Amino acid sequence: MKKYKHMICVVFVGLIFVSMSIAAWIKPSREFSDSERRKLAQFPEISPDAVEDGSFITKFENYTQDQFPMRDTFRTIKAFSTYYMFGQLDNNGIYMKDGYAAKLEYPLNEESVNHAADRFKFIYENFLADKSLNIYLSIVPDKSYFLAEQNGYLSMDYKKLFAMMQDKMNYAKYIDITGTLDITDYYKSDTHWRQEKLTDTAAKLAADMGVTLSDQYTPKTLDYPFYGVYYGQSALLLPAETIYYLTNDVLDSCKVTNHEKGTVGGIYDMDKAAGKDPYEMFLSGALSLITIDNPTCQKDRELIIFRDSFASSIAPLLVEGYSKVTLVDIRYLRADFLDKFIEFNNQDVLFLFSTLVLNNSETLT
Amino acid sequence: MLFSSIPFLFWFLPCVLIFYFIAPRGLKNTVLLLSSLFFYGWGEPRYVVWIVVAILLGYIFGLLIERFRSHNKISKLLFILSVSSSLAILGYFKYVDFFIDNFNTMTGLSMPLLQVTLPVGISFYTFQILSYTIDVYRREVAAQKNLINLAAYVALFPQLIAGPIVRYSDIANQLKERTHSLEKIAVGIRRFTIGLGKKIMIANLLGELCSIFRESHDKSVLFFWLYAVAYSLHVYFDFSGYSDMAIGLGKIFGFSFPENFNFPYISESITEFWQRWHMSLGSWFRDYVYIPLGGNRVGVFRHLFNILVVWMLTGFWHGAAWNFIVWGLYFALLLMLEKLWLLKYLHRYYIWNHLYVIILVIISFVIFDSASMGQAFSYLKAMFCVGGYPLISEEFLYYLRSYGVVLTVAIIGATPLPKRIWNRVSKTSVGGNIEIFAEPLAISILLVVCTAYLVDGSYNPFLYFRF
Repeated sequence: MKKYKHMICVVFVGLIFVSMSIAAWIKPSREFSDSERRKLAQFPEISPDAVEDGSFITKFENYTQDQFPMRDTFRTIKAFSTYYMFGQLDNNGIYMKDGYAAKLEYPLNEESVNHAADRFKFIYENFLADKSLNIYLSIVPDKSYFLAEQNGYLSMDYKKLFAMMQDKMNYAKYIDITGTLDITDYYKSDTHWRQEKLTDTAAKLAADMGVTLSDQYTPKTLDYPFYGVYYGQSALLLPAETIYYLTNDVLDSCKVTNHEKGTVGGIYDMDKAAGKDPYEMFLSGALSLITIDNPTCQKDRELIIFRDSFASSIAPLLVEGYSKVTLVDIRYLRADFLDKFIEFNNQDVLFLFSTLVLNNSETLT
Repeated sequence: MLFSSIPFLFWFLPCVLIFYFIAPRGLKNTVLLLSSLFFYGWGEPRYVVWIVVAILLGYIFGLLIERFRSHNKISKLLFILSVSSSLAILGYFKYVDFFIDNFNTMTGLSMPLLQVTLPVGISFYTFQILSYTIDVYRREVAAQKNLINLAAYVALFPQLIAGPIVRYSDIANQLKERTHSLEKIAVGIRRFTIGLGKKIMIANLLGELCSIFRESHDKSVLFFWLYAVAYSLHVYFDFSGYSDMAIGLGKIFGFSFPENFNFPYISESITEFWQRWHMSLGSWFRDYVYIPLGGNRVGVFRHLFNILVVWMLTGFWHGAAWNFIVWGLYFALLLMLEKLWLLKYLHRYYIWNHLYVIILVIISFVIFDSASMGQAFSYLKAMFCVGGYPLISEEFLYYLRSYGVVLTVAIIGATPLPKRIWNRVSKTSVGGNIEIFAEPLAISILLVVCTAYLVDGSYNPFLYFRF
């Protein structure tokens, strides 16, 4: 009996071991992981120096991890083991609650919040202070604002973050949009909010900036399935979601200029919609400087939004009240060069940033 | 190279197994030696030179000691030179900066540190070479004439970087002649995979919890205790997992390595704890330091002195820092108290004796893990409510919930209970039949899940860089 047991063990485990080893050796390398939305490590170049300083070994180890056969399946096995076998509350900082995947945003990084406020103050003092401008601040809460504390997950001190920003940006009028939002206004598998749910939030922002919106939109459905950023990070086979986007005559007539490439297009970028991150369909995703020209607006009123990616989906809803909206992302455009691209004069200026960026603001220039 | 890594598991190991099993009997040790040197050089190629030097010194001195066996003085001189040269290499790499630093502190001078990087596994292979030359000098074994065999013994990759410390006498015959069988391979696979699971699925998760604690800004008294418990279990599962992997690999290659751990946390005294914890190191110090000093067959004070020396050296062996010396002396003190007085009482108080061992061992690992004695004291003060920390904190509650299952599995897994249950079930006729398939299935699942953790790039620390 024991002999059979040993034989079965050697054959069974050996087969799995040999299969995985051979697959690891012969599997062609992939360039990019769609689920993780990142480039995968490639087989490193060998040189005496790289071997001596250990960089070859480190890169080779990364390569073997990234290129391991059925990597996504193994990551899913690990995630299931973490959540369901060991009952851990989060896997690599991602947790699930009521079908929503969210990132543990904890603790409050006061240094980061101060850094963000300092960068905004730099912009204010250098470009805005002596101009006739209406300056506003609004903060987009991330999903953990609605999920974490109530469900026993670690939660940063949001109240303190909001208070710190208001205190340090006393030159801006604060617009509180938290009351217009709840967790259903966000994608389940992504960090971002859903445009079709933001009409109240846009109306609140517009009203506090003295603009009235008609709130008349036709929702359209994107044909491509949407797997948000947490789909890959959680590795938990989250179901695909649908992106809805809002249109009307005003939005259809708007022209969006991408100043990075000098191209002109529409509010919704259908090439990006078919790409790796369909959320980038909103104003073509992460860009340093874009302008939206609204030819239907009768008034000569302009809005400048200093923003992160959350603004991409809400900015179109504010366009109706302005002849021109400029979106600036100071993660990609150095703040000290702003006056080379933008003429600040008699505009509304909105600082619209998410708690995620404020709490991790090292990329703000 | 770590056993718990994809390059080892799915690149290095399959190649070695292929070459090893197709090699004729006479070349198997050569395959093992070359693969061991490659394994060692993978992380730090330049230190291969030093292991080769250490091997050559051991080989030459072994032969010379045997050659001049009839000339006591020459033989003794060669023996002293052999031990001194091995300890000099270890001393230079491991302790020179420690001594310079302390010399500077005592004298107020500022001699520059040499910033010597410690070659991984040097403490283990130095002790193996020492055991070989000492045993040759004592005439307990014959000197190894075949350099490949001796080098394969010293550099044998399964036990090279984290033990167990295999004595030459344990495997001298196996180096020359050993058998390979399906049974040994199956037992080896099972042992290796269980060790891998202990390392990846328990030790690494507990290590992750310890890292979270160290970086936490929301510490509390109970969070300190949670860390201390988690670290004590982490060290056990990491170290015993590595030993299991080493023993398992040894079995696959036909060797029988000594056991290194035997459920130390069920001990009823610190004396028993050290008979169950890192047994290969304990027996090394017993046979090569404690007994030559006179052991317990001397007067009380000399006996206590012997304990003190052995445990100070044991602590120092673990790392060139004061916290390791204090850690060793802490155990010396406890062992002396037990030998003089406490031991006879401990056996009478069941449960209390376990609690006594567990609390004292947990405290010891707080000292062991500390970056400095200052940190050790501040952690211990915090654990006993004199650090000014609150009793409980939000992070403590969160991580207790998040790691509760892992901790429970670790606590149960640190006892013989799962093994006993498995053995009892497999002895029944139904259990025996199920076991034939259940065991390979369980081992396969374990291998797949461990691979999943490695692919995901989970926390995977290496504890032995200071050894």
